Amino acid sequence: MPLEILGPMVVLGIAGIALLLHLAGRTAPMRLETEEDARRAWLREHGEDAPGAVLVAANGRAALLRLPSGALGLVTAMGADPSARYLTGASWETTAQGLRIRLPDFAAPRFDIALSKDERAAWLALKDQTK
Amino acid sequence: MTDQLTFPDVVALAVPFFIAAILIELTWILIRKRGGRYETLDAVTSLIMGAGNVASGIILGFITFGFLMFLWELTPLDLGTSIWVIALCFVLDDLRYYWVHRFGHRIRWVWASHVNHHSSQHYNLTTALRQTWTGTFTFMMIVRAPLILLGFHPAMVLFCGGLNLIYQFWIHTEAIGRMPRWFEAVMNTPSHHRVHHGRNPRYLDANYAGVFIIWDKLFGTFVPELEEEKPDYGLVHNLGTFNPIRVAFHEWVGIFKDITQPGITWRDRLNYCIQPPGWSHDGSRDTSETIKAKHLERNPEDRGTAGFEGG
Repeated sequence: MPLEILGPMVVLGIAGIALLLHLAGRTAPMRLETEEDARRAWLREHGEDAPGAVLVAANGRAALLRLPSGALGLVTAMGADPSARYLTGASWETTAQGLRIRLPDFAAPRFDIALSKDERAAWLALKDQTK
Repeated sequence: MTDQLTFPDVVALAVPFFIAAILIELTWILIRKRGGRYETLDAVTSLIMGAGNVASGIILGFITFGFLMFLWELTPLDLGTSIWVIALCFVLDDLRYYWVHRFGHRIRWVWASHVNHHSSQHYNLTTALRQTWTGTFTFMMIVRAPLILLGFHPAMVLFCGGLNLIYQFWIHTEAIGRMPRWFEAVMNTPSHHRVHHGRNPRYLDANYAGVFIIWDKLFGTFVPELEEEKPDYGLVHNLGTFNPIRVAFHEWVGIFKDITQPGITWRDRLNYCIQPPGWSHDGSRDTSETIKAKHLERNPEDRGTAGFEGG
């Protein structure tokens, strides 16, 4: 197939499917409604490391977890599904919207987490307790 | 000897079919409210990976084709282009696919290329198109060498590989439950391939087949889909990004970091490339074997059941 046909077909195909999915309401990220949701999402990936304290962001898109080993874990919404990572080697920044956590991980380099001031203070306190 | 032989680029020709089939599957799911899940960013990432795969083939395809044509010049054999030769080539190329795919899950260097196909937590027709950009760098074209040396023309071998890829498109769906029993016995199906995409300990490293599931049955890697255990799709540790560049290269970056760390031996550095995914010099990570073993410690009643026969 000539590139001048294949190229536009691929571009329009991707754009069309994306638009259709968005209009069909398939863009909304998952929500962690409860601490139990966050625990379940964590255990799905790290089944041997059951979390203790759990802080779920009010918007339901992230949760900070303290683990028995003393490490911290983060569960975030990856589209319609969760992703869970240890925060080993993470750097933390406060932002106007909440927190920015950077990881030395090419597959998950940065998380921008929307938190209220009170939530942010609680997350930072849990982080500091865990040091 | 036939040097100038052309076969259609079937994968490119199938693009309109791919788009139409995705729209049909999506419509089915939206109307029936079952048969799978779609998510915008996930689907777009998969489709961009598919487009990138075609682009990388255009840019780097000359390397594989050049290598195969070099072998073609060496071999005194030429089986011709009869329909029976093409059919035989298709079957043998599927056997070639089985082993390349198995290497793709058992050798980290090859997994670095293949991992992105498993990086979606969804299982729908767009997942089929989430293909590698870096396949050339795995050097798995070597596994095609026996076919060329036996007298199958490179263009025919690549044509059969394209047909194989197209066959595998339709099996990436939850909209189809089981096919008729005779079909499930011989062919790779949505049910068999759902198992392959499962991150459940039971389903790890199973069902490598492309077209014919008989290879898995022959080589002991077949695991049936169990009604009581739905596949949980994605990677053992899922990605935290939809960025296609990161999806395409994250495992290569991981290998680079591992082999350049200080304080390990050269053997360790080599092992980070050639051992199965999850291998580490200090045993701090999990391979599929240790994941299965830990599962059996927690669930001893599963010992001896499908996917845990060797445990």
